Amino acid sequence: MTNKTDKPDQLDSDCLEAFDHLYAYLNGELKDPDAVAKIEHHLDHCRSCFSRAQIERELNARLKQSGNDTPPESLQNRLKKLIDNF
Amino acid sequence: MSEQDDKKAFFSRRVDEHMHSLYSVAMRLTRNSADAEDLVAEAASRAWTSLDSLEDRERFRPWIFRILHNCYISDYRKKSVRPVEAVYDELASASDDSEIAVLLIQQPDDFLNWWANPEQEVINQLLGKDLHAAIDCLPEPFRVVVVLINVEGLSYDEAAEVLGVSPGTIRSRMNRGRTLLQKSLWQHAQDAGLISRCNTMESSS
Repeated sequence: MTNKTDKPDQLDSDCLEAFDHLYAYLNGELKDPDAVAKIEHHLDHCRSCFSRAQIERELNARLKQSGNDTPPESLQNRLKKLIDNF
Repeated sequence: MSEQDDKKAFFSRRVDEHMHSLYSVAMRLTRNSADAEDLVAEAASRAWTSLDSLEDRERFRPWIFRILHNCYISDYRKKSVRPVEAVYDELASASDDSEIAVLLIQQPDDFLNWWANPEQEVINQLLGKDLHAAIDCLPEPFRVVVVLINVEGLSYDEAAEVLGVSPGTIRSRMNRGRTLLQKSLWQHAQDAGLISRCNTMESSS
């Protein structure tokens, strides 16, 4: 891993390209093997982007856990009644 | 069992299966529990009347999410009075993805230092309600993409189907939405006092 810092002004064009693909990569949506290899190589060599990717991974996990708004009982009853009347 | 009974049993089972997700997405769209409940009920009603148009029953989830989103667009969006905050204007209106990347990179040092500092355990301090509050502040096109993909686990293709846009647009909105989410979390963390807690932890260590 290179000795890049997290200072934003030290990010270069490789970092910008990595950012462009980062979320697709983390979301499992980067299908092109060459693009995957390229971003993984960049993350292996850029401390700043590696850190950012780690944070985004953790945030992905938290977002997934957050989707638990429990429907109120009134909605459950309303839907049951609605469907019964179809 | 008649064909109608079979259809109703399928519909009832599938709505029940996706009720939590539908309500969660409705909550993030309307940001109001009463409207979210009405929106889900309206979507279920419209879905039933157009169930015959669902060619592949395995595609029920994106299909009913699309109906929910269309109901929101046609009946609920106009009711939303919460303006897009100025802090998001420049990110939301940037013309292309590289501009977004540059804007992200140009965010203030205090934001980046806070966000990137593992010792502050920022992520671990964020509760579900903090994330919801931060998501709720995003402009709608980005909010819905983040919710569908990162919260509800839809693929980019499914989200594109729900929103009637290309997967490329989803990818672009995801990049922008997550950049905005960072900014929103920072704002929310300040409002919720998380920043001062972090600073206290840091100064006492």
